[in-house]
Amino acid sequence: MITFENVGMRYGMGNEVLTDISFSLDRGSFQFLVGPSGAGKTTLLKLLYLAHRPSRGLVNFFGKDLSTIERDALPRIRRRIGVVFQDFRLFDHLTAFENVALPLRLQGAKKSQVADHVEELLSWVGLEDRLHARPATLSGGEKQRVAIARAIINKPDLLVADEPTGNVDAEMSRRLMHLFVALNKEGTTTVVATHDESLVKAVGAPVLRLDKGGVSHEPGGKPVDPGQ
Amino acid sequence: MWGRTLQFLPEQNLREGLLPWVIGVMLFLCTLSLTGALAIGSGLERWSASLASNLTVQIAVQDPIERQTQTEAALRLLEATPGIEKATVLADAEIMALLSPWLGDMPIGANLPIPTLIEVELESGSTINPAALSERLKATASGAQLDDHQAWMSQILDMAVVIQLLLGGVVVMVILSTIAIVIFGCRAGLATHHDSIEIMHLMGAEDSTISTAFDVRYLSHGLKGGLLGVLFASGALLLLSKMAERMGQGLISASLPITENLWWLALLPIVAAAITMLTARFTVRKALLEMM
Repeated sequence: MITFENVGMRYGMGNEVLTDISFSLDRGSFQFLVGPSGAGKTTLLKLLYLAHRPSRGLVNFFGKDLSTIERDALPRIRRRIGVVFQDFRLFDHLTAFENVALPLRLQGAKKSQVADHVEELLSWVGLEDRLHARPATLSGGEKQRVAIARAIINKPDLLVADEPTGNVDAEMSRRLMHLFVALNKEGTTTVVATHDESLVKAVGAPVLRLDKGGVSHEPGGKPVDPGQ
Repeated sequence: MWGRTLQFLPEQNLREGLLPWVIGVMLFLCTLSLTGALAIGSGLERWSASLASNLTVQIAVQDPIERQTQTEAALRLLEATPGIEKATVLADAEIMALLSPWLGDMPIGANLPIPTLIEVELESGSTINPAALSERLKATASGAQLDDHQAWMSQILDMAVVIQLLLGGVVVMVILSTIAIVIFGCRAGLATHHDSIEIMHLMGAEDSTISTAFDVRYLSHGLKGGLLGVLFASGALLLLSKMAERMGQGLISASLPITENLWWLALLPIVAAAITMLTARFTVRKALLEMM
């Protein structure tokens, strides 16, 4: 579904942050992205959610070569990608409902459809009683669940999460990760960047390990229940 | 939140809130300059039209009997000339009244040699050649001097054109300054809302969706500023008109705008809003193209 071949990335005239990155994401797969700070995780994620184009190499999204995709065509591809950030990036002046509704409204969905979908999804992430709360009144875990709901309201083909558990406690981390696994089981290709190796072990999914701009692949293991 | 525009921008902050006031000040200056330029144009047009339909003949002869003889000869010639509606000799009292601003009140018949003045009214659309008429008057009455007001009127009209050009220049500069202010404001807004714009892009928003949010906001700024500016300028014009009324007739009152011809002032806020919105749209679209 998504393929990176010998991808390199540099900002301006600086050194390459990513060097010869090659991997592919199959439809419905779950992939962790791990690595020390400065290894290029965020840069690789930005390439994955189309915030940047690579400096070199081939990137293929849903069967289309990124280098040949016109700028005007990017919004359609981006609507197939959901993004969750460590710092949530919710619109502070909008309610939880309005934040989650934004992607649907961008696609011109009807008001009644939007209301049904958003309420259902916020209920699924356990926020049915916080529909009209603004982000300032939500806890870190609640904000992240709103952010996840916003990222998946369009039923994206690819979900990219950048340190989604970075600002929440261990219990909430585990619950959020259950959400990602549940979404993946419904067919959403999921990439989660994390520092937390215990979460990686708990899920047991394959790992892309970034170090010094390069990438190595590690197969998934058997999920480990952190309670045991 | 529901509506055709997807307004993802938060409520305006203090810095943006000042923009309508700045646009208002610009519109105030623009309105006054524009009104001034148009008023000078239409006022002088009316004034010069009334002067162009009049001539003055002066009989400057020392001897009263000779002056009377030449006045009668000149009157006969003028009345017989096609294109002249009426020729009237001004009474001494009227001449003294005309001179009083310079000489003060003097009794009629004071020992002051004053010429005889004949006021000539031309027929509407008359095509009299002042130079030829002057020649014929000289031949009939040697002391007759024809004044068609052209010498000093052309100087005033030249001056009026220069003032109009200057005021037009002020209008252009004010419009350009307003555009520059909106561009700066818009860039500041783009920087302030950079993260929001990036999120919108990542959610799949098209540039048009994002720029429409700015369009709506800047349209509102332009409309508010335009209304403020035109409102204050209308107040200032009304005040000037009242003051001029008290000063009486003359060049000043002739040059003042006629209020019933100022209906176009109502269009200025719409023009201001359109300029502000289009400037914002251009600025935002250009900035968005630099983003992926």
